[in-house]
Amino acid sequence: MNRKLFIVSFVLIAALLASVSVFGGGSRETAPGEVVITWPTHWVGEMGAGPIIRELVDEFNALHAGEIRVVLEAHPEADAAEDVIRTRLAAGQPPDFFLFKLGPTTEVYYETGLLMDLTDELERDGWGATFDPGALAVSTINGEVRSLPIETALTPIWYNTRLFEEAGIDEFPTTIDEFWEAADRLLEIGVVPTSQMTGGANAWTSMLWYTHLVGSIGGPDVWDRAWDDPAFEEAAGIMKRMYQEYTTRDAIGAGPGESSAHFMNERTAMFVNGPWFVSNIRDNAPDVHAVTRLAPAPSAGDYHGHQVGWLLTSAAAAHTDDPARRDAVVQWFRFLTHPDNIKRQSLGRGSLMPVAFEIGPEDNVDPLQQQFIEAGNNATFLIDGIEAVMPVHVVQEFGQALSAMVLRDLPPSEFVALMRAAAE
Amino acid sequence: MKKNKTLVQKNTWWIILFTAPVFVLLLMFFVYPLISLTITSFMETAGFGSATFVGFGNFSRLFNNSVFRMSIRNNLIWAGSAAFLQVPLALLIALVLARQPAGWRFFRSAYFLPNVISLVALAMLWRAVYNPYYGILNGLLNLLGLDHLSRNWLGELETVLPALIISYQIYVGYFVIILYAGTLSISKSLYEAAEIDGANVFQQEIYISIPALRGFILSSVTLAVAFAFRQFETTFLMTAGGPANQSSVMALFMHRRMSAFQNGMASAVGILLVIIGIVVMKGLQVIFGMRSAAIEDAQQ
Repeated sequence: MNRKLFIVSFVLIAALLASVSVFGGGSRETAPGEVVITWPTHWVGEMGAGPIIRELVDEFNALHAGEIRVVLEAHPEADAAEDVIRTRLAAGQPPDFFLFKLGPTTEVYYETGLLMDLTDELERDGWGATFDPGALAVSTINGEVRSLPIETALTPIWYNTRLFEEAGIDEFPTTIDEFWEAADRLLEIGVVPTSQMTGGANAWTSMLWYTHLVGSIGGPDVWDRAWDDPAFEEAAGIMKRMYQEYTTRDAIGAGPGESSAHFMNERTAMFVNGPWFVSNIRDNAPDVHAVTRLAPAPSAGDYHGHQVGWLLTSAAAAHTDDPARRDAVVQWFRFLTHPDNIKRQSLGRGSLMPVAFEIGPEDNVDPLQQQFIEAGNNATFLIDGIEAVMPVHVVQEFGQALSAMVLRDLPPSEFVALMRAAAE
Repeated sequence: MKKNKTLVQKNTWWIILFTAPVFVLLLMFFVYPLISLTITSFMETAGFGSATFVGFGNFSRLFNNSVFRMSIRNNLIWAGSAAFLQVPLALLIALVLARQPAGWRFFRSAYFLPNVISLVALAMLWRAVYNPYYGILNGLLNLLGLDHLSRNWLGELETVLPALIISYQIYVGYFVIILYAGTLSISKSLYEAAEIDGANVFQQEIYISIPALRGFILSSVTLAVAFAFRQFETTFLMTAGGPANQSSVMALFMHRRMSAFQNGMASAVGILLVIIGIVVMKGLQVIFGMRSAAIEDAQQ
């Protein structure tokens, strides 16, 4: 055997194998001493949070040129971004910085030791005091804050006043009987009353309708009695009727795109979503934006005037023993959650943020966002969305159980049984 | 024989050297995960925390889960459609292309084109095709006066799985290329001789092309069935397993369990997927082996 040729071949093959680990791991430091913070996120693109986040990242990078650089890793679809984060955490390699929904399933992130502990940092310079205490309390588990509240969900009913007027409805219905009556009037003028959907990761719009109804029947503590309280069955019965008589043909299987498009194209008169959708409707359907009003759901039981609201988005970072990296990440956290920058994010996309900021007369607050603020202030109580109180696999089953009840014409008790089975 | 042995012995180190990378990668990315998967399938895990040994508990829970049973059924339907719909369709197209009709070069490329387009883009396209409001399918039915047949194709229990399977036939070009390549290896003289003997085109394909393509057909069926058992993306993107879990498949079920950090159960699904896949593949080999033997006997 040619010894030289053998050695050369051996070196080449070793280099090939080594390259897998070297290039597979990626390069983090691009300049000597520069800390790169990679952020896989769906807050990208030209709509929603995308433009303002890109602006903030550019500003931060310019402020810390040569020292810290935040790099956005685009995952345009929210569910896909969440999957990426879960997978990386499961592999023990959390992203440098990321957003997630803190809930019963994701609480385990805290136990992994993979997230940066920010408890002590929050006590410095009054940083922690800038956050809403309630939201910060939700983010504190076993006395540790390993994620920061970034965005609050508040999801009233959106309705189109022009279509309501055309149908001869003066005010948004306050009882479920008035609601059915209004729905019939809308049908008479050829408008589908509600946008619904069973698709996506959590059947978002319908899940919110259902939660409104459950809250109205069972009250503020109804989730403590999940799935035993009769409210769950009763609300399911109302959902079934909405699907069978008062929603679009594509509601079963529809995703958030279809559901919101129906409202924005005035095919439907009612819809449920959060404030982050304000910029979307303002930019893509300004005529509808101008005639949209918000209301609490009609009362289906003893309670009325409540809203579905909870801590929707939290931000976390990978734990590190490198003081320089930790310092860089904390600086980015502080920059992103600084009241001035929170204000820009909130006004830029219409979102509600759990950090207080001043609004002056010179600030251009979107009228719809203003309604969101009022809806939050006027709410008789807040009830959590399902994903804040139920594990992921139960949330995933919601749309499937709902479609099973509608398509197989099952009694509402069967819907509850399916949800209970998923929860067990 | 003696010469060959010497050659192998003489090049032992070279053989080890050049097979080592593949062997190492195989160990890293197949053997190790498979062992890990097997171990995890006997564990109950809560998120990232400690795991508890539960024996066959995960498997028994799976078989008691109606959605999982539905997923197995759907995977078998996908596999059946791959073997009895997609590959025969590909064979038909390949045989037509082999006759080189007008525009055959264009069609050869056109059939393959979907395989190089993003799966996400195609899934979105098909979602649009099936949309009950603006979808081209319902539009076409309305145009033909068949509006009573229009449906929410992806939102009804009876239509969702057929709609998904039909949309997947767009990837037929992959097998067309394999089978078309096979037709190039058949000697033209066989067809000329058959023509002189008075065989028509249909008879030529049945008695010359198909037997000659046996190996290619087996490969295509094997690949198509393997793809069917791995089915995930189309279902995930178009229906997410709905409505009412009617279109769920095993890989999607596994993905959901992983999303919920039920790693033990997800691993058990993975193991069952491997076992069912091996059994079906072996079954196919046996069936095709028997068929080949029967053809050879008949020819003798």
